[in-house]
Amino acid sequence: MAENQALNRLLNILKTSGADAWEVTDVQEKGWEFYLIRHALDQNRVKELESFRVKVYRKFDDCLGSAGAPVPADADEAEMKRIAAGLYQDAAYVRNPFYTLNKPEAENGAEAAESEHVDLKAISGDFLATISGLPETDTEDLNSCEIFVSELRKRYINSEGIDVTVTYPSSMVEAVVNARKDGREIELYRMYDCGTCDREQLTRDLAETMRYGRDRLTTEPTPALEKADLILSTDAACAVYEYFIDHLSSGMVYRGISDWKTGDTVAPAEMKLQTAAFLPNSSENGAYDSEGARIRDLTLIDGGKAVRYWGSRQFSQYLGLEDSFIASNFVVSGGSASAEELRQGDWLEVVEFSDFQVDDVTGDIAGEIRLAYLHRDGKTVPVSGGSVSGNMNELVKGMRFSAERRQYDTLLIPAVTRLDGVTVTGAV
Amino acid sequence: MNAPFSPYLTGMAPGLKQLISLLREQYDYVSVLATDSTGFQTSISQKAKSVSRETLTTERGAVVRVYRNGLYSEAAFTGFSPDRVRETFEKISRELEEQFSLLEAAGIKPYETAALPDGERTIFAEMETERLPEAENLAGLVARLSEISDLGMKKGADMGIQMIDCQARASSTHVCKMFLTEKQDLRQSYTYSEGMIAALVTDGERTEMSYTALSGRCGPELFDGMAEKLPEALRIAKDLLAAEHVVPGEYDVITSPEVTGLIAHEAFGHGVEMDMFVKGRALGADYIGKRVGSDRVTMHEGALCAVDVTSYAFDDEGIPAGDVTEIENGILRTGICDALSALRLGVQPTGNGKRESFSHKAYTRMTNTVFDSGNSTLEEMIASIQKGYLLEGMQSGMEDPKHWGIQCILDRGYEIIDGKLTGKIVSPLVMTGYVPDLLGSVSMVSRDREVFGSGYCGKGHKEWVKVADGGPYLKAKVRLG
Repeated sequence: MAENQALNRLLNILKTSGADAWEVTDVQEKGWEFYLIRHALDQNRVKELESFRVKVYRKFDDCLGSAGAPVPADADEAEMKRIAAGLYQDAAYVRNPFYTLNKPEAENGAEAAESEHVDLKAISGDFLATISGLPETDTEDLNSCEIFVSELRKRYINSEGIDVTVTYPSSMVEAVVNARKDGREIELYRMYDCGTCDREQLTRDLAETMRYGRDRLTTEPTPALEKADLILSTDAACAVYEYFIDHLSSGMVYRGISDWKTGDTVAPAEMKLQTAAFLPNSSENGAYDSEGARIRDLTLIDGGKAVRYWGSRQFSQYLGLEDSFIASNFVVSGGSASAEELRQGDWLEVVEFSDFQVDDVTGDIAGEIRLAYLHRDGKTVPVSGGSVSGNMNELVKGMRFSAERRQYDTLLIPAVTRLDGVTVTGAV
Repeated sequence: MNAPFSPYLTGMAPGLKQLISLLREQYDYVSVLATDSTGFQTSISQKAKSVSRETLTTERGAVVRVYRNGLYSEAAFTGFSPDRVRETFEKISRELEEQFSLLEAAGIKPYETAALPDGERTIFAEMETERLPEAENLAGLVARLSEISDLGMKKGADMGIQMIDCQARASSTHVCKMFLTEKQDLRQSYTYSEGMIAALVTDGERTEMSYTALSGRCGPELFDGMAEKLPEALRIAKDLLAAEHVVPGEYDVITSPEVTGLIAHEAFGHGVEMDMFVKGRALGADYIGKRVGSDRVTMHEGALCAVDVTSYAFDDEGIPAGDVTEIENGILRTGICDALSALRLGVQPTGNGKRESFSHKAYTRMTNTVFDSGNSTLEEMIASIQKGYLLEGMQSGMEDPKHWGIQCILDRGYEIIDGKLTGKIVSPLVMTGYVPDLLGSVSMVSRDREVFGSGYCGKGHKEWVKVADGGPYLKAKVRLG
């Protein structure tokens, strides 16, 4: 690891700052970006960024004060000292119940740096080639696209002796596709987060999006159904599973936003929810969290019952958990029905929302329908307009999900999710 | 007092000008945007307290924009040193050449664009503020926020509300930006602040969170009157717990200024961002000069048309702030435009080129988006409705410039029957519709207007920037679900 003089200077200042504990994260990002209008280059960008994030802690009887700040990578010693002194003072103003920082797993504290070689040029080339090779037609094609490829390197050091570094690729593609017929043109929007370019999956997903585009050109207004069984088979389903994930985060539980207790039945009886230390091609595959804790595989829900919480050191300790961590990747499993079995009877399958949301506080779900397939009496009709709404506290009782799974960046979730009895406001 | 311009940026300016000179030997146009913005955020509740010298817009760094052979390229970096100008120059050149070689190998051609003009221009703006974030007495502020949180718990209980928590949050940012080219030297410094009170409540079966917010282009003096917002937060919390579900359907409604602002933002804010015209992604391009709303609808956009969190002197591409009349008496007049899109469309830029941070690309973005006032009173508007709702509180919205759909998720609807509020409340509400239908249905507009700057705006699902929006009460017809 190359010597980082600015970081060393900052560490020396913190060690003599008078703080009872401290932590520093050195975040470095190298990025390449490409912006395309159709297949022409709108703009290309490079970036090379570094900044330090510092937090200092002070003990006050049974309380812990803390304060954080960014420290510019080009700050000189005087500026670093001024920031550290300011934080020492600020930390006295906000006092929370006492907790401790993470400690190293290895005796010497300096744990093995986990690095993944990131070749920005090669990854960028893969994305550009994939976009150039999309199966476009005269009536369905790419409107515009933005490609972001970066190498993230995060080094976390704290006063307890932890010194860990993670390096990993993180990419994002935003794509807009058009479909047209008889002088009318529509667009569909997609955003993909991932580690590197999975050419096959990206091509398959964008081809599927173009198919949706064709169908959106032939939609009828969504009828006022009052109630319908909703099927989610796109990334909108992530919001449903994030509701379960968030409700088991120690911060949500401690603050009273979630009242879920371990042992409670909180999900369909067949659901299993786990954290995953590593998920292939996730954009968040660091081995350690932002507080220096090792990320592990852990079961959060089993058989529909809450098993344990996950989350930050502070709130997890308040709930009596000493070995928690901030997870990035999650896996949902347990579905016994096939996707085909779930698509039985009458249902509304929404494949394009304006913005599908699940409110973490209330459990309310809502989204405007841009494209859905209404399956009724053995017929399938593409529809658009209107909205779906409901509340997870009720909908979870009739929730079913498929054995087949599909990955959306950091989430590996059932490919098909069915929520019975959702309210549907028609477009007319 | 005036918010003083960053001494750090002042010190970097000569080195950055050297960098521009070196790059000009290789490129036909070169500009640099350098930033040094500081601030604080503190949040106090019964369960958790925090303080940080970081807000969503604090940053320090620079981005270089260069132009050659019809193509614009950018390099963003931190850690610039006037002692290592040539090293920075060589690094930027090397990295961009690497990209050019990849693009050539991939057979990707530029979207040919003309060079930006570089006329002489100087701006030095230090805007007024009573106090500076970096000099604020945080001990005193934390104490005041703690009092609000404690008082919220007590007053909520007195009102018969089962309080889980009451949070008071304050953030204040001192923005300093410098835009340089061979001939331009623009520097601005201003403060903006945001405060929020949230009440987390339950009735044993359901949990709700209410919030009230305040914002302004000012320093931490904004928080001196924050406690006055507490009764509103508690009143809303009580209303939410009493709310029922709406029966889906089309209703006559009155939108409060906050909801009016959300409509302005989602309907013809995003709808006339002209970088979307370049891509053929906005229906608005075909409707300039045509009717998109009723005669009562007039709407402005620009950093100069209100004083709030995004009322700057120049944008992130060095274009002076503007005030554009987007819709005039129901007729769509023009859109808003960043500098490169203006070149491509052959129009003048409007001062709406904004970046999430120095390290992000500039896009056409909103600043203050506001409906003009009318001549009705709220009382007259309520009296005119036989069955409908007074809509208050926004949760989120989503744009759809290509098809003019609109999605707004709203907090509360207060039922109106035969011209009177009945006391019945519905929540939450998904308001959907076709933008010209919605604006075409506007039949009454109130005399007063308010602007709100506590929100952020994304482009698609990313690129978050500060925006403000608002207007008067509007009477319209919408679908609620």
